[in-house]
Amino acid sequence: MNLAVILIASLMMFAIGIIGCLIRRNALIFFLCIEMMLNAANLLFVAFANQWSDINGLVWVFFVLIVAAAEAAVGLAIVISLFRSKRSVDLDQYSDLHY
Amino acid sequence: MENILFMIYPLCLLLSSLGVLVFKKPVHSCLSFLFSLITLAGIYLELFASFIAVMQILVYAGAILVIFMFVIILFQDAHQQIERFPSKNNRFFIIATVFSLVAVVSYLSYLIAYPLTNWASMHTTDERFGDVQPLGQSLYLHFFFPFELVVLLFLIALVGSVYIAKRE
Repeated sequence: MNLAVILIASLMMFAIGIIGCLIRRNALIFFLCIEMMLNAANLLFVAFANQWSDINGLVWVFFVLIVAAAEAAVGLAIVISLFRSKRSVDLDQYSDLHY
Repeated sequence: MENILFMIYPLCLLLSSLGVLVFKKPVHSCLSFLFSLITLAGIYLELFASFIAVMQILVYAGAILVIFMFVIILFQDAHQQIERFPSKNNRFFIIATVFSLVAVVSYLSYLIAYPLTNWASMHTTDERFGDVQPLGQSLYLHFFFPFELVVLLFLIALVGSVYIAKRE
């Protein structure tokens, strides 16, 4: 198992998540891409925990998993209430606070 | 053989992550994300983090993606309004791609300049490295207070999500 391969895969996964957040206009895909970035960070934690034989890295992955679950619950609730206000999940339409 | 198997995992991971980006229907993106989560669990197993791999499947594929699926079903007709894939502000796509390319290229050049060959022999070969017992010991002995705080956070998130999504 080569660490460099994992690092590159994690970096590319994070980049794909950022690109997805910026170019997709669907609120649900936006949240999926945020979850993907969290997963890229998790992959790094696991890889380095294995590299240094340190179990504390896996404990942090556990915490990140819990925070991701909480974030998904609150985020999807926000998406639902956004949908109620404008009957749309298109992020381009929610620019009321721009000006 | 093991090397080939190990190259297949990151390849599947990247392809399924790209699938989240390019599929037009949210359900297809969600299923592609499910595939990338399962691939990640496979990589965790290869890295001897067995408990984390099981949690990945249970929490992500079992709980979070099901919530996503429910919300997608809830908004079935709203998705059809946003079918235009490259959105009207195209500059975001260019900026994001340029920055990601710069990051990937700089990282690759760093790896070529300083190869990690001297690290490669350091990784653990203990198959019981990521089992429940050592992880639980570390969690309850060294991380007990953060663990309790995270439980509180989870409770607050539960109540908050119900309150936000509640009809006025």
